[in-house]
Amino acid sequence: MATVNEHFVIGMDVGSTTVKAIVLDASNQGRLLWHDYQRHHTQQPEKVLELLERILADLDCAENPSLRIFLTGSGAGPLVEPIGGKFVQEVNAVTAAVERLNPDVGSVIELGGQDAKIIIFKDDPNTGMRTAVASMNDKCASGTGATIDKCLIKVGATPEFATQLHFNSLKLHHVAAKCGVFAETDIVNLVKSGIPQDEVLNSLADAIVMQNLSVLTRGNTLRAKVALLGGPNTYLPFLLDCWRLRIPEVWHDRGYHPPNPAPVEQLVFVPDNSQLYAALGAAFVGIGEPSQIGRFLGLTPLREFISNGRRARLGAQAGPPLAANAQELDEFTRKYTHPRFAPPPIESGSVVRAVIGLDGGSTSSKAVLVGEDGTLLAKAYQLSKGNPIADTQELLAKLKSHVTAQGATLECLGFGVTGYAGTVLEECMLADVNIVETVAHMSSAVHYFGDVDVVCDIGGQDIKVLFLKNGDIQNFKLSNSCSAGNGMLLQAMADQFGLPVTQYADVAFQAELAPKFSYGCAVFLDTDRVNFQKEGFQKEELLAGLAQVLPKNVWQYVVQIPRLASLGRRFVLQGGTQYNLAAVKAQVDYIRQRVPDAEVLVHPHTGEAGALGAAFETLRRYKRSTATRFIGVDAALGLQYTTRNDESTQCHFCPNNCHRTFVDAQRPNGTIARTISGFSCEKGTVESEEAMLRVVAERKMLAGAHPNLVDYEGRKAFQHFYTPAPLPGPGTLIEDVEVKKGLFRITRRRFTRPFVRSAAADAAQRKTIRVGIPRVLNNYVVAPFLRTYFETLGIPKTNVVFSDPTTEALWLEGGKYGSIDPCFPSKVVQAHIHQLLFHAHQPERARPLKYLFFPILTQLPSFVTDTVDNASCPIVAGTPEVIRAAFTKEVNFFEQRGIEYVAPALTFTEPTLLAKRLFDTWGPRLNITEDESDFACTEAWKALKEFEADLEKRGEAILETVESENRLAILVLARPYHSDPGLNHGILEEFQALGYPILSVRSLPKSRSYLDRYYQDELDAGLIETPLQLSHLWPENYSANSAQKVWAANFAAHHPNVAVLDLSSFKCGHDAPTYGLIDSIIQTARTPAAMLHDLDANKPGGSLKIRVSTYAHSLQLRQEKLEELEQKTRELERSIAAKRSELLAGSPLMAGTFHEQLRATEQRAFDQRHLPADELQQPSRNAAAASGLIQLRRKPDLLSQVPANSSQSLSSAAE
Amino acid sequence: MEQQNTTAQRRLPLINASTLPESTITELRRHEARERERLGLSPRQHWVESGIQAKFTRSERPNVTLLLGGLTRSHDRLIEGAFRGLGYGVRALDCPTYDALRVGKEFGNRGQCNPTYFTVGNLVSELTRIRDEEGLSIKEIVDKYVFLTAGACGPCRFGMYVTEYRKALRDAGFDGFRVLLFQQQGGLKQATGDDEGLQMNPKFFTALVQALLAGDAINALAYRIRPYEVTPGATNQAMDKAKDYCYDALLNGTSVLRALYRSRKHFASIQIDPLRVVPKVSIIGEFWAMTTEGDGNYHLQEFIEQEGGEVDIQIVTNWLLYNIWEVRFDTKQRAALRGTDGTNRGLQNMGEFGVLRRSLTLAAADRAVRLAFFAYARALGLRSYPLANMDKIAELAAPHYNNDLRGGEGHMEVGKVILNAVDKKSTMTLSVKPFGCMPSSGVSDGVQSLIVEKFPGTIFCAVETSGDGAVNFQSRVQMYLSKAKQSARDEFEKALEQHGLSAQAVRDYLKRHPSTSSALFVAPHRARTRVADLVHATAQGQVPTRTRLSNWLDERRQSLTNTVTGLSAQLRRGHEATNAQLKTDSSSSTLGVFAGATVAPAKKPAGARIAA
Repeated sequence: MATVNEHFVIGMDVGSTTVKAIVLDASNQGRLLWHDYQRHHTQQPEKVLELLERILADLDCAENPSLRIFLTGSGAGPLVEPIGGKFVQEVNAVTAAVERLNPDVGSVIELGGQDAKIIIFKDDPNTGMRTAVASMNDKCASGTGATIDKCLIKVGATPEFATQLHFNSLKLHHVAAKCGVFAETDIVNLVKSGIPQDEVLNSLADAIVMQNLSVLTRGNTLRAKVALLGGPNTYLPFLLDCWRLRIPEVWHDRGYHPPNPAPVEQLVFVPDNSQLYAALGAAFVGIGEPSQIGRFLGLTPLREFISNGRRARLGAQAGPPLAANAQELDEFTRKYTHPRFAPPPIESGSVVRAVIGLDGGSTSSKAVLVGEDGTLLAKAYQLSKGNPIADTQELLAKLKSHVTAQGATLECLGFGVTGYAGTVLEECMLADVNIVETVAHMSSAVHYFGDVDVVCDIGGQDIKVLFLKNGDIQNFKLSNSCSAGNGMLLQAMADQFGLPVTQYADVAFQAELAPKFSYGCAVFLDTDRVNFQKEGFQKEELLAGLAQVLPKNVWQYVVQIPRLASLGRRFVLQGGTQYNLAAVKAQVDYIRQRVPDAEVLVHPHTGEAGALGAAFETLRRYKRSTATRFIGVDAALGLQYTTRNDESTQCHFCPNNCHRTFVDAQRPNGTIARTISGFSCEKGTVESEEAMLRVVAERKMLAGAHPNLVDYEGRKAFQHFYTPAPLPGPGTLIEDVEVKKGLFRITRRRFTRPFVRSAAADAAQRKTIRVGIPRVLNNYVVAPFLRTYFETLGIPKTNVVFSDPTTEALWLEGGKYGSIDPCFPSKVVQAHIHQLLFHAHQPERARPLKYLFFPILTQLPSFVTDTVDNASCPIVAGTPEVIRAAFTKEVNFFEQRGIEYVAPALTFTEPTLLAKRLFDTWGPRLNITEDESDFACTEAWKALKEFEADLEKRGEAILETVESENRLAILVLARPYHSDPGLNHGILEEFQALGYPILSVRSLPKSRSYLDRYYQDELDAGLIETPLQLSHLWPENYSANSAQKVWAANFAAHHPNVAVLDLSSFKCGHDAPTYGLIDSIIQTARTPAAMLHDLDANKPGGSLKIRVSTYAHSLQLRQEKLEELEQKTRELERSIAAKRSELLAGSPLMAGTFHEQLRATEQRAFDQRHLPADELQQPSRNAAAASGLIQLRRKPDLLSQVPANSSQSLSSAAE
Repeated sequence: MEQQNTTAQRRLPLINASTLPESTITELRRHEARERERLGLSPRQHWVESGIQAKFTRSERPNVTLLLGGLTRSHDRLIEGAFRGLGYGVRALDCPTYDALRVGKEFGNRGQCNPTYFTVGNLVSELTRIRDEEGLSIKEIVDKYVFLTAGACGPCRFGMYVTEYRKALRDAGFDGFRVLLFQQQGGLKQATGDDEGLQMNPKFFTALVQALLAGDAINALAYRIRPYEVTPGATNQAMDKAKDYCYDALLNGTSVLRALYRSRKHFASIQIDPLRVVPKVSIIGEFWAMTTEGDGNYHLQEFIEQEGGEVDIQIVTNWLLYNIWEVRFDTKQRAALRGTDGTNRGLQNMGEFGVLRRSLTLAAADRAVRLAFFAYARALGLRSYPLANMDKIAELAAPHYNNDLRGGEGHMEVGKVILNAVDKKSTMTLSVKPFGCMPSSGVSDGVQSLIVEKFPGTIFCAVETSGDGAVNFQSRVQMYLSKAKQSARDEFEKALEQHGLSAQAVRDYLKRHPSTSSALFVAPHRARTRVADLVHATAQGQVPTRTRLSNWLDERRQSLTNTVTGLSAQLRRGHEATNAQLKTDSSSSTLGVFAGATVAPAKKPAGARIAA
């Protein structure tokens, strides 16, 4: 036992989840005397006190604690004063520890609870001294302990499993590690698809490692040796293995060779006591401080601080508690506490005829037994164990035993499913009904409450808010993968406090005040939580504050309609989260505050609302058909199944090589129901090549029948389609302008002179030059211009090389250069540059790229007539400079590969300046004359116009056709680069497959002759001068792409046959201000719309499915409405014709019989509607459609008649 | 709905007016309307923005209060005084708090940057307070208040924040509330007219610029002194006095220079410890995030001072100079083109002398701002405070950050980091920006990673604010600040070593030269920190004696006061003439704020020498 020693130095690391404490003996070379590591469950000061008490006791110095103490960590700040210690910043502490304990370490990666840190030691060439370059994750990055913790819970991995798992890179699935919430969503989807735990965790580890290597290093290369610190690195061997695999790969890519080669286990290692490094470092820093610094004040001030100090200053910044007083709380609980469900007794010996509804939710599954008369007989709940079939079997067993235990027998009349597990169950158990969750929730709410206005369902992972009219979904808002505020948030917070979620409300109601959280992402909220905790808020207050933030997340973040009253006054709350009365109270208060006469109802079986919806639908169907295809409860319980995920299940139909999982279930009749999961495209849904070809052919046929102009635009922009005119011969007379700059004035004089050509040798040289251009960002707008410019100057069309469209493989290979983390469209550029540098550039095959051209596009061409500017997004415009920095920082890759990187600033709103800049850039490089460059510019402009005209012609043909057939087309509101299939993730195809043609913003016709008819009243009223203007809707329209998007939304609002799909990338700063605007425009006109915001690197699988299905439901309603509208219009025409006849009866104007008049009137009305007066003289506005460019097929049966090659009509016309 | 306009989805051209009697047509139309209603064939409604047209007229002026805010506390207060002096009812809003952020988030779009949430929320909170606490009806609020703010035209999303103001005000129930804008580059072109409630004439801009420059001078001096003050709070007291004096001067139309000169003794009397080793932290980044002094940046400036750093702030004057530079650069790029383009940067319709006229106006504007700032700085006692050399910054940044790229601070962030490294202007550079700031997080930071590599030893810290917990933010600042502190200590020790001095020797020397104890004293710039400069100056005997300083001051004080008082009078006299001249120049896109610039004296002013 050590004795009292004033050389003892305590180091303490007060982190967001744990407290680490150590004691060193400064007089004995810093010998470690004592250490411990404990979770604090948000009781930071209490845990610190406890540890200090133990230290004093163990070191036997309680009487005379002449110790010194140094603190580090996010929670240390407020404790410094009461303890008397000194604060040491975490990175500095870790640096000090590493420098002392492992002087040969070149870099450190520490994953903490909320922070990830990378420290790279470099030698300063000026001073020769070793300096540490440190970076920490931004608020968003995941890959921290907290995320890993949550994912382990989702996967259901026991600590034993997680701490013994080893990494295997063969079976990895996509997990977005950029953000903790994204990662969790992906993990849930993988679990639901039946992917085994080990693969899920390995995928998570890989994603975290890659995210850290690509972003957190800020473009720096880790130096060997690499020390891994922090809890996750210490305790999870699969994470360690993954670092050991990936770090050497990066070294290889960047040409870095460790100075002292050694086995990877030595180069990338976890040092002893790695979890204590920050605490050790704080103490090491302390040892170096003068002896009066950091004097420990004893425990009394800390105790005082815990009991009084913190509380004193909280009042001012805190908000009100959940309930103002006990009376209010009593009233509330009386009203909203539903009596515990008591299943109605079942008569022994009876036969219970009932249907089963099942909701395979994200974190749990629920099932209900509903009698033939619609009464709920029993319900069952099952926390998800990762396999939907197993979960279902357990649920069915519970329901069955409920009946049999009472001596009755169950006759199942039908089985209906909804939720994530729907497809699997439909396939293997032959469920009668598989309905989308939104519709299930709607039916359930309507069943219990009749006419309601809003249904708000908050589940474990998703928030669904449905706006109803006449008992059907009028509109809906769903949380995207980013959104917080779901049930898991409250669950996770309760977990952090070591509290069962069932006790959440009881604890939260005890709070007398609550910290004011601001809404937003769960990761941000957690940061806030740590901060509030540091300030001294207690558990109950934090829980109350979090409950209060829930409605903000729902209404402000997901729904984004601040005027709740505009939605109606009957609100139904459902979903498992409503069991938590604290959440309900916060919701009720929030809604009531904004809609004082609101009636806020809570579903009586809130957790089972979805399952009930499925049951009611099954019952409805049973009553109609009195038959079921369900294999039966007993057969379902005995269903044998196998899960396979190995080489044999891998999909090789495309370069993605998805690792699929086959779940084979044997049905009673001996057939095998195979469910395939883990694929990223349609091809993965089948096994044999023939089947795959069939799938592809079907998709092609659908695509042919329902053209996708977004896809077409994205492809054609980069193809050669325009043959430029040859350069004029030398001596051809051209007009020029002479500019004279005098002392005071600048004059310009027109004159004629001969065209100047460059030397023939230069022209010949140009034929050999290859120019690489990344297929990214606003190059999607100007690519036809760029291509034609080079082609006109004599560069062969095959030598203008664009990178490939974005794919996952492309991104994975080339996404490691970045130092910042902007939107995915900007971030993915590095991968395209990588592809050009290392694949398109082939000097060994005599196909080198001489230039890599990536212009800074400051202004873009636009068709909107009254914009204040046509600026490009600043991130998009600036990306060429970011790329230059990233690829020249440590190694100049351009120089290394012998390529010149050319990134001039170009503006497409000033043609004269553009021509000058192009000549300044390319004149000396291509040895061209200014005349040649100018001529190439003119041709390039022509190509761009032709490209746009072609798109518009096709767009018009689609619009004409859908209008004449009373159908809908989907207009994609997106930025031009969302045409990249790697950015839109093929989402459009899902809609195309539903039978809707897809329009892009650029493909909308812009001619007055087409547009005016839809804007006639506004034109007549003088509200607008042209349909192409925008300022009356949005004066701040300086962003070209945003302005065009908003304009297109307004077009959709004016066109009855257009529905909207709004795509937007995560972190898109130029889209954010337009969300409300577009919403106002399309809501006012009641245009059907679906929003897919926050798109990122991965395809939003789970959320996409539910959106597509719900949107399909809305579109179906709209389609019916169009038909109804047509009928009503006919009726109106008839009625007016009749009235006219009545009024003119006996008049000489009334010639012919009534019926002749009527027919004539109808015919006239029809003609007029389709061929307005201003165009009657024109030959045919349907020319494009008639010319056979696009043939839309209306009826599905016609699809079979479409020859396979006709689906190519779009592409073949261009290629 | 008020803001909606209705149009027919389809028009039924059944009624042929040319062949039917008038009465029949009327009856048929009535019938059609009835039938449409019966069948539910209501016309489709379309959304239009109703908040654009609202005007603020001259006749309303006596009864209307202008609400404004958004800069530093000093600026907001002085602008309030300046506009009151012009006869407007004015109220500066408080510095936005987290509560404002929450209100902004409730009524704003998702995904905005937080300056928008803070400022929009601040306005909505204030209007709500007026409604609930002062008991005014919405109509009274709409009639009696307008909000005045600087407009921007992108290209980052903050330029669209007026869209947010409108959305938030509408959604918060303040439909029709007026937001007045003056464009940073609109100059006198905007909103001039006899009936305009807000007269954006030279008088307006002169008052505004006076307030901005005085605010800048006061802030710059206070941040320079505060880390060294012996009695905590002494600098803030002097600052409050200075603000009071200047506020009164602006309100009463008396000399701001005199007010600043009066303030000087308060600053001069602050007792400082000049030998504190304090790293100098240059704050750059997004304009609002680096300017605000409240929750919007987690009280960053205060935090750095508490942690033992000296804050080198970015003054608003530099922003004005950047605005002038932008127009100058763009004009130069286009002056000799073989044609002219017709967009807002193009030079179409400028005439043969247009470029010359614009260049002269811009040069005069630049000169006038610099002159006026130095005059103010001099009067206050803010010495050796160079204004940014815009051309040099642009030139340094150009190889890494194209000068055509705009948004936020454009290339300036990169240029300033290089300048700080090359000219040893600070120990550490801190770039603060809102989470996901487009130009700063999305572009500058990407380029800065290269700059840091190219200029080893640069301590560069980029941090984002989100309005959520300050813990992580402050932890990052602390991380770099500890390096900066170490670097400052090293620099101090090296300076001592270089001259063979000890700290005590320097202290003794300074004691012998008491003028150096003045808070206003600044040693010649040679190092990154104030204390190292002092060591160098001590070693070379550059610390002036009290006698020399007093003599110098006596001479200069009189001549400076004379020059500047005369100049102010000239400025005032020149307003009318300049106004007329500039009004006719419709193509001018010069900053209106420099309308008085045409009277700038050709002779090099006294203040300009300091800059040189």
